[in-house]
Amino acid sequence: MSEVALENKKNTVRKKKKWKLSQLIGFVILLVVTITMLSPVWFMVTTSLKTTKELLLFPPTIIPKVFAWGNFSELFTNTDIKFGQQYMNSLIVAICTVIGTIISSSLVAFGFARYQTRSSGFMFMLVLSTLMLPYPAIMIPQFLLFMNLGLHDSLLPLILPSFFGSAYMIFLLKQFFSTMPDELYNAGRIDGCSEFRLYWNLTLPLAGPALATVAIFSFIWSWNDLLTPVLYLDSQENFTLPIGMAAMLSSKFRLAPWNLLMAASILSVMPIVLLFAVAQKRFVEGIVLTGIK
Amino acid sequence: MNKKWMSIAISLTLVFALLAAACSNKEKTEGGKGEKVTITHYTIDSPDRTFVEKLIPDFEAKHPNIKIKVTKAPYEQFDSKLQSSIAAKNAPDVTSHWGYGGFMEYYNKDMLMDLSPYLEGFKASDYNIPDDVMDIYKVDGKTYGIPLNSYVTVMLYNKDLFDKAGLPYPPTDYEDKSWTFEKMVEYAQKMTVDSKNMEEAQYGVDFGFGERDQRPQYFGANVYSDDTWTNGGKPSEINLSKPEVVDAYKTLYGLIYDKKVAPTPAFSQSVSGQFGDPFLSGKIGMSVVGSWSLAAAADFSFNVGVAAVPQSPKGDVRSVLYVDPLFVLKDSKHPEEALEWIKYLITTEIQEKSIELSGGNPPVNQAAAEKYYNNFEGIDPKGIQQVFDGAYKYGFESYNHLISNYSQINELFINELAGVENGDKQVEEVLPVIEQKLKDLLARVNKP
Repeated sequence: MSEVALENKKNTVRKKKKWKLSQLIGFVILLVVTITMLSPVWFMVTTSLKTTKELLLFPPTIIPKVFAWGNFSELFTNTDIKFGQQYMNSLIVAICTVIGTIISSSLVAFGFARYQTRSSGFMFMLVLSTLMLPYPAIMIPQFLLFMNLGLHDSLLPLILPSFFGSAYMIFLLKQFFSTMPDELYNAGRIDGCSEFRLYWNLTLPLAGPALATVAIFSFIWSWNDLLTPVLYLDSQENFTLPIGMAAMLSSKFRLAPWNLLMAASILSVMPIVLLFAVAQKRFVEGIVLTGIK
Repeated sequence: MNKKWMSIAISLTLVFALLAAACSNKEKTEGGKGEKVTITHYTIDSPDRTFVEKLIPDFEAKHPNIKIKVTKAPYEQFDSKLQSSIAAKNAPDVTSHWGYGGFMEYYNKDMLMDLSPYLEGFKASDYNIPDDVMDIYKVDGKTYGIPLNSYVTVMLYNKDLFDKAGLPYPPTDYEDKSWTFEKMVEYAQKMTVDSKNMEEAQYGVDFGFGERDQRPQYFGANVYSDDTWTNGGKPSEINLSKPEVVDAYKTLYGLIYDKKVAPTPAFSQSVSGQFGDPFLSGKIGMSVVGSWSLAAAADFSFNVGVAAVPQSPKGDVRSVLYVDPLFVLKDSKHPEEALEWIKYLITTEIQEKSIELSGGNPPVNQAAAEKYYNNFEGIDPKGIQQVFDGAYKYGFESYNHLISNYSQINELFINELAGVENGDKQVEEVLPVIEQKLKDLLARVNKP
């Protein structure tokens, strides 16, 4: 008995040693990769805290000589920049887009996943084929449409299309909804659920991970979109963040205010980081709650 | 859980509906204002352009029947927004070629209104605009643009590097015969430290004269046949195989690879980023550059001076002129009112005011020029004036304003010459390739 125990102990000691060495190598590799990955972030943070004069120094300073915290407040106080307003507009557009995409795409995807008719295959292909259309191809007709609706120079042209479904999201959700067992729906029907309640009370709550994915994607796309807002928005009070930040780089007649731009970048990645943190929880929650795999 | 979700969704939808209502209400009130004529001024979203917004209250007080609305886009998106608004019949009234395209491109796309019928009684001299500057935007005697700002090419130099090398500062007088290209190279050699160590390396000169296809003009050679300047910017011949053009490019790129006094693109990018100017890093002695770089002079971390572009070995063009005009677009319903706005912007008083508001835009109105020369701290106003006078005398308008479909042509030169600039290819092997591609391109785009 004691011999076996001794043997086992030896084994674990040996194993432990091996594991430690590989752990060390792994640790070093991870450290190098992490530093490489984080260096742009470091550069972003330090640049956001430099003064204009220090920006031009070569070689660039790794830690700012003087911490110019004023760069952050300048974003909000400089009347030429209007950062706060742009931030608010971007948030309104992105949140409304997420809601629109989730409502419309999940409804359509639910239809495709749960109801089979003779033409549903063809209809689904039709929806998917719109993925092939690049944005510039529909840019002008869509612009004309919104012009005629009198919605030009408002945030609505950026939000409304999301309420009419997105082919990519429909595809993604349809695949997820198709994996849900029929038994679940049959049980619901026996309990007297209407078809809408099957969608609203059964499907949506169980689709947490897929909906979180849709929310993240549509938020990021909307948050980063530059071309559409540029086309539709004329008045500065309607501008979104990407326009404001692109405008900081606009002038070939001036030094680009990289410090302000980096400060703006830090503030603008915040909602995305936050969204990831929240959505990640939903991912796990979704899997735990459904119990279906 | 479900109820919570539902209530969140419903409340957000309500917010959305409210927003929709608010936006549509705004449209209605704006539309109902009545008889005032609204002129849209479309520009790049950068402080040296959007300052015009500050002039609007004064203008509207003087012209109660005209309302000015400024719309803007970032530089990179300027053209796409303009094109889509023209396609949607929502074109602005007043704008300029502030994107990638130039005057001739706009003209050939039939975007511009002939202003001649509205210019009766208009005299350039009333606004102190020299006649030859006014003529830049005339085609067949018809005026399509009114000049607003005039930039030139200048030489900026780093006084600290000159002092360290014990060199005298270059002159501001274009008539100074001792200031030659050879002399510039000689100075540059004394300032250059051609080292692989980025911290030590510094270069004597960065010769950024105009765009790549215009650079041979400094050496007395022309890439395009002379008819280009009279026929609407459509070159009938390309001279890239002519010995003088080949020699010009060899001399130019020889500064990088034979004489080793100019920075390689790799060096420039590593000290100043992809689109930056390496001169700002303080590691370049002299930089031939557009005068807009002067506007940033106060921010430089070293002492800066302005000098004349040296005498060329052969040619007499020593400066590229960038005269920015204002156009009235063809679809404008109120050209007369648009012209009133343009005329207001070129009056002496407003041009003087604009220098300050824009941070240093050079006025086209010569009566306002003196104020401009005094605008740069630490640089002698007389020196700047001398440099500008000489630049006008020995200047040629920038090709991008004069040649049709210039953005495509320029891109071709940038892409093909990259091999030479990086030191991978020789001028002699690249120029024939550009010539052929350029001929194909021109045949395609200039089809009658």
